[in-house]
Amino acid sequence: MTAALTLESVSKRYGDFQAVRELSFQVEKGQICGFLGPNGAGKTSTLRMILGLQAVTTGSIDILGADDGRKVRDRIGFLPEERGLYKKMTPIDAIAFFGALKGLPQAEGRKRARDLLEQQGLGASRNKKMKELSKGMAQKVQLIAAVVHRPEFVILDEPFSGLDPVNQQGLEAMIRGLAADGATVLFSTHVMQHAERLCDKVVLLARGRKAFEGTVTEARATSPRFLELEGEISSAAVAALPGVSSVDHTGGDEAGVRILKATLAPGAGGQEALKAAFLGGLDVRRFELREPSLHDAFIGLTGDHPDQDTSTKALEASQ
Amino acid sequence: MNRILLIARREFMAYAKTVGFWLSLLAFPIFAVLGGALPILMQTSQPIRQVVLIEEGPAAAGLAAAVQDSFACDRERRLENRSEAQEAAAKAAGYAGGTAASEALNRIGGPRMQFVEVPSDLATTPSGEPREALARKYLGDEVPEAQQLDAVVFLTRGEDAPSARVWTRRATDDAVEDVVRAALRDAHRRDVFQTAGIDSSVVSAMEAFRPEITALSPQSASGGEVSFRDRLPGIVGLASGFLLWSLVITGASILLNSVMEEKSNKILEVLLSSASATEMMTGKVLGVAMLTGTVMLVWGGIGAFGLLTSFPQTAVDIGAVLMDGGLIFYFLAYAVGGYLMYAVLFAAIGAFCETPRDAQTLMGPIMMILVVPILVMQMALQTPDAAVVRILSWVPFFTPFLMSARAPSEPPMFEIVGTMVGMFAFTLLMIWLAGRAFRAGALSDVKLSWKSFASAMRGGS
Repeated sequence: MTAALTLESVSKRYGDFQAVRELSFQVEKGQICGFLGPNGAGKTSTLRMILGLQAVTTGSIDILGADDGRKVRDRIGFLPEERGLYKKMTPIDAIAFFGALKGLPQAEGRKRARDLLEQQGLGASRNKKMKELSKGMAQKVQLIAAVVHRPEFVILDEPFSGLDPVNQQGLEAMIRGLAADGATVLFSTHVMQHAERLCDKVVLLARGRKAFEGTVTEARATSPRFLELEGEISSAAVAALPGVSSVDHTGGDEAGVRILKATLAPGAGGQEALKAAFLGGLDVRRFELREPSLHDAFIGLTGDHPDQDTSTKALEASQ
Repeated sequence: MNRILLIARREFMAYAKTVGFWLSLLAFPIFAVLGGALPILMQTSQPIRQVVLIEEGPAAAGLAAAVQDSFACDRERRLENRSEAQEAAAKAAGYAGGTAASEALNRIGGPRMQFVEVPSDLATTPSGEPREALARKYLGDEVPEAQQLDAVVFLTRGEDAPSARVWTRRATDDAVEDVVRAALRDAHRRDVFQTAGIDSSVVSAMEAFRPEITALSPQSASGGEVSFRDRLPGIVGLASGFLLWSLVITGASILLNSVMEEKSNKILEVLLSSASATEMMTGKVLGVAMLTGTVMLVWGGIGAFGLLTSFPQTAVDIGAVLMDGGLIFYFLAYAVGGYLMYAVLFAAIGAFCETPRDAQTLMGPIMMILVVPILVMQMALQTPDAAVVRILSWVPFFTPFLMSARAPSEPPMFEIVGTMVGMFAFTLLMIWLAGRAFRAGALSDVKLSWKSFASAMRGGS
């Protein structure tokens, strides 16, 4: 596969604040890559550097064969984190305008806008003013405006924020559609579930540093599997089971029923622990072997919680 | 280039589709018509006041006639002034037109009033409270409309001077009071001069004297007498300076608001991913220039049409002044430089602001700077080579306005070239700095301050 995007030791400094540190990763052509991290991890700064909107402090970026995103801006589609369109424009005019800025002839832009709005169920609203549309509808229009010129590389900054579950599903389908048409998609998010469902590859970022780069399965594999047990059992009894490395009490009721999370040691399968629990006569009413989620992997890899705000935003903004 | 034109077209259309644009387009002709017609309308709609003059006592004899004479003289004087104005209008119109203007002037005069005979009961009622009560009755609605009066004036003469009590229908109407005051002052003056042994005809002759003054200058077209045509270049220069000033203020304010709107609606970042900061700024500046240019062209067209139909000779003279020595090209060059300089600055400020309040920190001092040329331009009309005018002409922020005002007075060539080079060099510097600030501001949420703005200009991204 050929790389559509390569970052090599990219750093970004705002005054005394280091927003991005020695970041290197690659996205292959046609991949959907999730750029994950809590708010303030440096995702937006990185995306802006990729687009050429902000200069790198050190390091280099290669996107679609160019050393500056501005040189290939017509081949890139971008949806910023803070979204908005001209309130008095109609969706069809707005989409055609942004398409035209990317080199798409106006007539073709209007034709594609009509088709795409129809596909997204916005056909009836195409001639309404943007200010008359709901937030979800406006967000869809903006996404269409970002991809109407059929870019080779699509960058979406927190595309799911502010959308309800139905629209989130619709957006996921749209992203899959872009990749199916051959586009490379890089999107940032702090919600791991979207990345788990969509991504061929994820890059985890914490406090400006890369914490992981690989597939979702590889990311999960970095985190230990665990057992969830429920019953009138003690933590000590569970800790004594074979393969269990640690036990956490996660819930229970007044009747003495407890829910315990038993983390397995690397390589342990859980079968031996189950067998030992039965043989030991433990009062286990539920026994589940759980695979770690990307969320668990993120916490394991970075020590941060993906929903927390490790805010560099204020500092980013102040520069 | 295509992106610049796209942005410019969007900018133009965004405003051209608004009601405000069409209102401002029509404002000039509407206000021009209103401005010309209002005084005439106000004058002709004035009612003719019915006034009675009552002399109280034998000592007051002759005062009523004096008031009537004074009013008649005043009318005569106004007619005389009017015929002079008509003559000037006809001259400005090339002796060929100006009929409409002359007719309009004809309708303008002093207060409209008619002295009527004193009603018999008012004449016979003895002075004092009963007479005053009767006067009040004639000024109210108690009597039939045909008998109603607008003013009753009681004239008396004391030991030293004449005096009057003026009753009027409306407390706010002081027109009759003014006429009576002027008349009694004249009557008193005549009495005083007569007492001093000076004949009243001498006094009248002195009052009517108007010295004839001829303005001469070696710089006039004839080399001697100064005509309106000689003064026209100065007036055209000053008008151009003011026009440019209003063009800059209007255009730059539209630009500031437009960028602020894009900033507050979070459009700037996505625009920046589609076009460079320079392309965006150039497109916006061009779009607003097209917009203000359209307004100016329409206004200029209407003004030129009005001038050609009413004062064709003046229109020809103004055309000649503009073409003389390529003056119009100087004006255009100063307009381009001035507009660009301020437009990019305002656009860069707008990139940091989401509301007009955010912009106040920087806009206050800039508006103060913009007041300076307004004050100095007026001085430039009479003394274009005054030291302060010449020195301030070299300050790039003031150059476009002051040099526009001075250009018709033919300043030294080194000043024209030097200030123009300085202005364009500074404009290029402003475009470069504002471009950096614009890009930084568009991507920043920082509150606007002099420090942040200067830092953005230095650092760009």
